[in-house]
Amino acid sequence: MKPIGYFAVIACAGFLVGCAATVPPPELIEARRAYEHASTGQAAQLVPAELHKAKEALTLAEKSFLDEPKSFQTRDLAYIADRKAKMADALATTSAENAAAAKAAKDLEKTQAEIANKAKTDLAIEQKARLDADKRTAEAQAALAKLAAVKEEERGLVITLSGSVLFASGKSALLPAAQNRLNQVADALMATKERSLIVEGHTDSQGSSSSNQDLSQQRANAVRSYIISRGYPGDLITAQGIGEDRPVANNASTEGRANNRRVEIIIVGNTHAAK
Amino acid sequence: MKHVHIAMLVGVVLLAAVIAGCGSSPEINKEASTSAIRAAEAVGASQVPSASLYLQLAKEGLAKAKVLAADGDKEEAESMLLRAQADAELAIALSRSDVDKKEAAEAIGRVQELRKENNLPQGRK
Repeated sequence: MKPIGYFAVIACAGFLVGCAATVPPPELIEARRAYEHASTGQAAQLVPAELHKAKEALTLAEKSFLDEPKSFQTRDLAYIADRKAKMADALATTSAENAAAAKAAKDLEKTQAEIANKAKTDLAIEQKARLDADKRTAEAQAALAKLAAVKEEERGLVITLSGSVLFASGKSALLPAAQNRLNQVADALMATKERSLIVEGHTDSQGSSSSNQDLSQQRANAVRSYIISRGYPGDLITAQGIGEDRPVANNASTEGRANNRRVEIIIVGNTHAAK
Repeated sequence: MKHVHIAMLVGVVLLAAVIAGCGSSPEINKEASTSAIRAAEAVGASQVPSASLYLQLAKEGLAKAKVLAADGDKEEAESMLLRAQADAELAIALSRSDVDKKEAAEAIGRVQELRKENNLPQGRK
């Protein structure tokens, strides 16, 4: 039995040595892993030719490993196969990036077209809004012209309301009849709500200059408050008492004085609408 | 006779020189690997982290091949040169991939910025 036992031990040892020799070199292990990675990624789809080269390189390395497992050729071939697999990966990435860049370039074009389109639409909307505003202003002016004397001057569109219609003599409280008239004026003004208004009070030359000044200021205030109460933005209206300083007619006659007693509403900056 | 002697002597010396030349360091063709390394440097591989490693390995491979050739291991030297070439080529591919990645990211960024500036909805992804 004994010689047979020795023989078995020697055979086993020989087998183990043989096994040890077939352990692949690290280069080959790495090459297999790299190829596995590349072939399961985008490379198969995007750069099949490169992946094929990597596979051929790996096949060469595997063959060399079977023939001469420990040779430098095997290690070098495996090393090269590893690099070729990584190369396929890198080229696949490049290809994907190129596709992304191409898509981005297309998106850029599309976006620019969208922006141009939007600008066109915005411009059309703006033009329409301006036309609408002009139309409203024109309508408002027509309505005002029926209610009061409307005159276009350099300072703006001037609406003149007769003082005797609005106030009792020497008073600054609006008459009930005036409110009705002012309602209509205010409604017409609402169409041009974005414009600044100046309300000016004017008197004739009877009485003292200072009392006329005060009265005209109070009357202008009263009209201003009333227009605000009808919904016009208060910050756009200023009231000024002018007193007897700017007569439009001769104060010597009754008729002239009546014309001088008045309230003017000026629509300021009536730039392009009033024609 | 003297002339013949001199001619023979010159011939022997020349032959010896040729043999010595061959023996001292076998000729290896470094052309492919050196040009690949130069190309990798030209595309800026040393500035790209992922590529610079392989450029370095390629240079080391070339140096090793020269040593092997000097030691007379022609076959091993040539095999090593192939390693260097493969490294340099990978460095080139990785540099390009990096450049393309940056360009793609920039292009995508430009589109997004433009859309944001103009209050357009951002595209999918």
